[in-house]
Amino acid sequence: MCVGIPAKITAITPGLLPMAQIDLNGELIEARLAYFPDAQVGDFVLVQNGFVMDVLDEQSAAESLAAFAALGVLADTEQPASSTS
Amino acid sequence: MTQRWVLDEIVDPFGAKIVVERDAIGAVRSARFDLAGLPRVDALLSGQQTAEVPDLVEKLCGICPAAHHLAGVRALEALAGLDDITPTAKAVRRLLHLGSALETHAPRLLATDREAAVALKRFGKAAMVASGSPGHFPVTAIPGGVRAVVTSEARDDLAARVADVLALTIRVAEQELDRSTTLPVFSGADVALVNTDGGPDVLGRRIRAVTAQGATLISGAAASAWDMLVAEEFPGRAAPRPFLMALGPGQGRYRVGPVAQLRVGELSTPIAATLQTQWLLSNGDAAGARAVMCVQAAEEIALLLDNPALSSGEVSVPVGDFQPGAIGVGWVDGPRGLLVHRYQAGEDGRLAAAQILTPTAQNEAWLAELLTATATDSTDPLGMEDAVREADPCLPCSSAPVGGMGLQVDTVSVEGRN
Repeated sequence: MCVGIPAKITAITPGLLPMAQIDLNGELIEARLAYFPDAQVGDFVLVQNGFVMDVLDEQSAAESLAAFAALGVLADTEQPASSTS
Repeated sequence: MTQRWVLDEIVDPFGAKIVVERDAIGAVRSARFDLAGLPRVDALLSGQQTAEVPDLVEKLCGICPAAHHLAGVRALEALAGLDDITPTAKAVRRLLHLGSALETHAPRLLATDREAAVALKRFGKAAMVASGSPGHFPVTAIPGGVRAVVTSEARDDLAARVADVLALTIRVAEQELDRSTTLPVFSGADVALVNTDGGPDVLGRRIRAVTAQGATLISGAAASAWDMLVAEEFPGRAAPRPFLMALGPGQGRYRVGPVAQLRVGELSTPIAATLQTQWLLSNGDAAGARAVMCVQAAEEIALLLDNPALSSGEVSVPVGDFQPGAIGVGWVDGPRGLLVHRYQAGEDGRLAAAQILTPTAQNEAWLAELLTATATDSTDPLGMEDAVREADPCLPCSSAPVGGMGLQVDTVSVEGRN
């Protein structure tokens, strides 16, 4: 199933192909803003495969993160894990 | 056992990977799209409060929350033995679903018709808000119905805009139908939800399957028959290779989504039905099929807005308890195709087992067939992109501009990795 994990934009590098620096569960990653060039620093977004897929309101982001927390599925990056069931 | 995911494996920017298997002399044996970035959540749902499972799943996915919302609520209703809901609940749910379809398809049109893309996105979102879902995650449906009717103000606002939106969807469809495709014909079956007349219906309560030659395999089975219709060749895997049990693994491979919908029966609205005929005659592709389904959605919304039940009437009916051991299947035809939630009720209101079968998982065999044909004919990366774009897995690469998909191709020999 596609998995959309809410993350917060912490910085944006403008340009022809704008990139966002994103805080995803405490890890900073880069994602392309091709589909949401108007996204702002501080926005909560869904990221998949290096692209911002959607911009969320803060409440929706909090609800989604609570769901991930309830299931405890997001591992620390240094932990070994399996990505499929 | 607790399942945990490493974020890098899910959000890897170069995660769109194709695996090509070659034999000892280098000939292509097969090719497939690696779905490791789309983990199954089924096992995680066991033991959760059954009534909360749809809400949980839609918040994990986030990309198609409306489809998960409606499929999940339908599964709960099936668990409780509820067969039908009120006309008002049906109308409001349909407005949510159709609005979500337009909103989901809209970004795909940015390259060909920016004005239409923006208008469809806004209108689709407005329809979702009118149906009672203002946030990202829908809350419109409840087991037994919906929370509220559509207000007359919201209905009038949509009614004032729907003709323009319909015109834009027709413009897009005419552009898409002008293009031809050279992609190979799928050898498996087409599967979609249908209405009582056998025509495609994104909220249909019956399922229909036809072969590539047009023969009917399943004419109109109910969700309760799901366990006798489809099985997974590799249960629980990200790419489970589901198949039609009547034909068995491999032979029973099938696809879902707009292409399948246009091949299983005649659309119910007049303009979309005319475009569907053109699409069939032109051996149309998935982009054309999506465009035709957008026309159908706009026409259906126009009809809904004239339906008095949308804004008045009983919103719900009582729902019974979930009996331990009961199995409930809920489905919808989402923007990418058939989405199935299958729940088994356990003790103390908790879920004993779940199966979430997504369009991407169901279309993986189709995509593999496209990729194998492409890899056999040429190593042109743009050909690979065309194949991925056609089957439309739920990954951002599906929407990337030409040449921008960033596909990674791994070649594997039959003796081992090169």
